[in-house]
Amino acid sequence: MGALAQLGSALLSVCQPQSLLLMVAGVAIGIVFGSIPGLSASMAVALMLPITFTMTPSLGMNTLVAVYIGGISGGLISAILLNMPGTASSIATTFDGHPMAQKGEAMKALGLGIVFSFLGSEFSFLILTFFAPKLADVALQFTPVENFGICFFALTMVAILASGNMIRGLLAGLLGLFFASVGMSPIDGTARFTFGNSNLLAGFNQISTLIGIFAVADILKTAEHMSANVGKTIPINKVKGFGFSVQEFIHHIPNFLRSALIGTGIGILPGIGGSTSGMLAYVTAKNMSKYPDEFGKGCPDGIVATESANNATIGGAMIPLLVLGIPGDGVTAMMLGGFLIHGLSAGPLLFIKNADVVYGIFAACMVCALLMLIIEWYCIKGFVQVLRVPKHILLPLVLVLCAVGAYATNNRIFDVQSIILFGLVGYIYHLLKLPTTPFVLCFLIGSLLETNLRRGIMSYKSFGAFFARPIFDVFFFVAIGVLVYSVIKEVRAGKKKA
Amino acid sequence: MFLRKYGDLITSVFFLIFGIWLILYARTFPESAIVSIGPDFMPTTIGLLMAVLAAILLVQSIMALKKPAEIKADEDAPEYKRVIESLVLSLAYVFLLQPVGFIISTLVYLFAQIFVLAPEVNRTKKDLIIFAVVDVVFTFIVFFLFRYGFKIVLPAGIFTINL
Repeated sequence: MGALAQLGSALLSVCQPQSLLLMVAGVAIGIVFGSIPGLSASMAVALMLPITFTMTPSLGMNTLVAVYIGGISGGLISAILLNMPGTASSIATTFDGHPMAQKGEAMKALGLGIVFSFLGSEFSFLILTFFAPKLADVALQFTPVENFGICFFALTMVAILASGNMIRGLLAGLLGLFFASVGMSPIDGTARFTFGNSNLLAGFNQISTLIGIFAVADILKTAEHMSANVGKTIPINKVKGFGFSVQEFIHHIPNFLRSALIGTGIGILPGIGGSTSGMLAYVTAKNMSKYPDEFGKGCPDGIVATESANNATIGGAMIPLLVLGIPGDGVTAMMLGGFLIHGLSAGPLLFIKNADVVYGIFAACMVCALLMLIIEWYCIKGFVQVLRVPKHILLPLVLVLCAVGAYATNNRIFDVQSIILFGLVGYIYHLLKLPTTPFVLCFLIGSLLETNLRRGIMSYKSFGAFFARPIFDVFFFVAIGVLVYSVIKEVRAGKKKA
Repeated sequence: MFLRKYGDLITSVFFLIFGIWLILYARTFPESAIVSIGPDFMPTTIGLLMAVLAAILLVQSIMALKKPAEIKADEDAPEYKRVIESLVLSLAYVFLLQPVGFIISTLVYLFAQIFVLAPEVNRTKKDLIIFAVVDVVFTFIVFFLFRYGFKIVLPAGIFTINL
């Protein structure tokens, strides 16, 4: 049977009432977990895993897929409304989503985010369905050397994001790299900067860092101007449909395709993840745009880029998971657990032995993305009501949720305590007018960069040998080119000013 | 005003010192027996880049100080008292969460934090009642949601509900 016929019959079986109901519930639970800062998609999948024990393999897998998709896309809601990314994947959504909400365009921002999340997911699922085995071969070409190249490339994006004030942006990022290096070093496990504190051995938790930089710092920043903002409310413009016209939609198509490709591509590579893909797509969209200065001030293109990319990462991440049995991140690792529980072993044999289950998963992915679109669309009006809650009540509630979420990740009180440290970093950055984005990006990529560099050196003996690998060369030299170009642009702009 | 004028200077001096400290501290790490790039490589690189960039920024900001600074109309003065109160409250919260328990510490923290953030006009008796209701309802919703919905046990501390 061809892929299309398989997919067709799988779609029919996925749309049985029982499986549909389970998927609706799964998507809804995923959205709740995704939208609450501190609760992540992987936690949602971990929680649902035992519930799927008693189901048939295909029903169980459909439910897990539903939770995963809901969880990744739910992050955009809090990113836009609260300026706090619900998951690490939606960090870049805050850059333009929140300014849009401040201008009264919350409904439009949510509408765009939801539609392009949906399209991004479907795009990657189509690629997954038809090219999964071929693309998995590509993923195998990626050794730590290539991964180091990508991480290095992503880091140079900091330079572009910080353009206009590059030195300060880079300094802001370097501190993030430092925090990423706290704890046991990769490979040899040397304790670094732990000062005898055993809690620090595992390093700082990603979720705690995000919560601190976004949620805690936000409370402190808001506290500065509370009296002055009395009576100021955020307007909420009413919109029809999803809040954008057909012309606008057509305008976003090139941006969407590019971002979805970036997202799927990053997704295929194990261990890089949605936060990087969203950020890369955002920066690429900014650079390709005719009006780069609008980015960060509430430009719809920014939301389109990030949301298409981070949702496209899902389909990408499923490729190595299904074809090779390699999980790329926390969520897919949980999914792999789900496979094992149901007696399926992910890997090349899965396609031969359990083709029905594989195509069932593909079909479930597509249907779940549609369900996500429908559920979130019906809830937009409810979501935006959050903006009507006075800030002095809303922010403390969010902080409590964040603290609990940080605790729940590892059941470690230290993770809760470290949010205050990062809150302070965020607030001091605000006082000194340093950008926090480079800090977050560098923190997320820092340990990946070091691990891959050192692993690469271990297997290839010297850094020079890296250059024998063409994929690495492309990423490395493009990154160097971008860096040089940004520095030249910066110096010229500085001369013009003087 | 102080921060606006000397912000860059403070930033550069801080990063300069921090970068140098990083380089020196990284020298105490043992060499790796397996890989030529040891655990000290990243911190040293970070420190080096930091120190160089900070030095450039330092020179720039000293040059900028010599020029007469343009004085902008001041916005409303930041209320640092509120900021410090919020910081102290949240610090107390995260450190009391474990020993005192989620329910009691959250009940106290939420009310205090909302009160601190609320502008003076929003601190009437009616507002205080709203704060208290929001506080109690939210705390228990979160507690029950995590305990029974997500099966995550929050720190119990000195007082706990066993249902």
